[in-house]
Amino acid sequence: MTTQIQTPLRGKVTLAGVLRSEAIRMFSLKSTGILIALSIVLYVGIAVIATWAIGSLLQDMSDPSQMEGMGTMSQPGFASETLGSGLVFNQLILGVLGVLLFSGEFTTGSAVSTFLASPQRLRVMTAKIIFTVVLTGLTQLVSTLLAFIIAKPVAENYNLTLEFSSSSFQSVLWYGTLAVIMAALIGLALGVLLRSSAGGITVLAAVFFVLPIITAIFGSYVDWLPNVSAFLPDQLGLSLATPLSAPSDLELWQQLLGVAGWIIVPLALGAVLLAKRDIK
Amino acid sequence: MIQAQQLTKTYGSKTVVDQVSFTVQPGQVTGFLGPNGAGKSTTMRMIVGLAAPTQGQVLVNNRDFKKSKHPITEVGTLLEAKSVHKSLTPSSHLRSIAATAGLPSSRVSEVLELTGLTGVRRKKIGGFSLGMGQRLGIATALLGDPQVLILDEPVNGLDPEGVAWVRNLARQQAAAGKTVFISSHLMSEMAQTADHLIVIGRGRIMADAPISEFIDNGLAQTIVKSSDIEVLMNALSSQGVQLRRIDAQTLEVTGPDSEVIGRRALETGVALSELRPLQRTLEDAYMELTRDAVEYHSNIVAENSGGK
Repeated sequence: MTTQIQTPLRGKVTLAGVLRSEAIRMFSLKSTGILIALSIVLYVGIAVIATWAIGSLLQDMSDPSQMEGMGTMSQPGFASETLGSGLVFNQLILGVLGVLLFSGEFTTGSAVSTFLASPQRLRVMTAKIIFTVVLTGLTQLVSTLLAFIIAKPVAENYNLTLEFSSSSFQSVLWYGTLAVIMAALIGLALGVLLRSSAGGITVLAAVFFVLPIITAIFGSYVDWLPNVSAFLPDQLGLSLATPLSAPSDLELWQQLLGVAGWIIVPLALGAVLLAKRDIK
Repeated sequence: MIQAQQLTKTYGSKTVVDQVSFTVQPGQVTGFLGPNGAGKSTTMRMIVGLAAPTQGQVLVNNRDFKKSKHPITEVGTLLEAKSVHKSLTPSSHLRSIAATAGLPSSRVSEVLELTGLTGVRRKKIGGFSLGMGQRLGIATALLGDPQVLILDEPVNGLDPEGVAWVRNLARQQAAAGKTVFISSHLMSEMAQTADHLIVIGRGRIMADAPISEFIDNGLAQTIVKSSDIEVLMNALSSQGVQLRRIDAQTLEVTGPDSEVIGRRALETGVALSELRPLQRTLEDAYMELTRDAVEYHSNIVAENSGGK
């Protein structure tokens, strides 16, 4: 038995090393693959079913633009926006992935190993942020592109226009991806703030599903509430990616500022607390 | 080398580590001994930057570990078994840690082999026994072939063969000039492993000395039984030794060893029915030191039984 090795190990910690470490760990966990597969299948499935439903609905009507509330449906960009129907689900699913990415460290105690291997805590957090952005961003891009490829023949069957280069589809593609990245980073921040998977997922679901309902219910009584609801992360995402079906009173820069706020504030709070609190 | 200066940690109103100062030297095994809840783990967590000291500071090789650029080659740490994601395997866990520091995957195979985990390297850690988890923790600590080894209760849950293995490992690492700091609540374990002992109780350092100093100050104690005990007492007292009468036939002699006493008895013609050297064990010394510092007492305390 020997513990000595001939050439001493150097072992310098780098951001790239921590990133590689994150990737090895996350891809060794089943939950990562399950959540990514689930988000792609759900997103593509909803997009295709929605395209089919809209198509058959429009076909049954002689002139939809004459019907009340159906005006937007006949607009050329609407078919593209239909592809973004599953956006909130992907925000939630990949948001959960974000939560688990950090909360898992604390619920399993692996934070001890992680921060012994890289005692600079913010470097670990930076690596997790990069990993989250790349992983969830790619997942959303792939989901949207797959949805486009599979929904295109369905749309053509009903004479709906689905143009890759149209501004509507580009919005769904890029702003949809931004919306998902935002959700995943909110999840990541909740994971490090609450250090609990259940807690993080609950709060995430509350932000995306419960807050919009509350603001909708009380919106008619309280004047400023509708303005708040426009800044909720689900609304920001929808109004950026699918402006025809989810119109917003906000200017583009205001929407982007809102997204930036939802990304930066929770993460900054998480970073401060991560640096300060003891690792258990 | 580990240097703690006035290290203090409080949680709310409870002071867990109270102005602790000590130095752990390289080239020897230093035992960190104390009852449960004495502050051993908290002190170790502060050394490696997982817990922030309320006051004071601790340096590892003259640096703050939190600023180390080569953390796992500098310090190998085992804090608690299974501080690992349960769905991972030993292989993926170690590869992930090795990647952080850019260590080759061949080193992962080496430590798996070293800790006897090669056979289970693709099994889920969640199903591991405490002993296997402990081996994985030790494998993680050894991964960077570190200069400083910090092991918190490393033999917990290990079988006798594993215990001996950890003991050997610690001795080897120290012999190679490394700093080895091992905590335990068992003196018997430390007695066989450590060169130097730091004893902590209720967050305070109670002793910090080479292990030899913990065994009595060179004075032998012997229990002697005889029906002619008074005669023997007279014969022995001339030597200026401490005699303590325990009962009509029993005497406790401090000073001369059993051989001297036996010869003296022969010379005076006293028949002995018992001549038993009392070794004050490390265990006794430890019990004495920490008697008042034990956080959780059991109601019945076994009487020091003496000879071993």
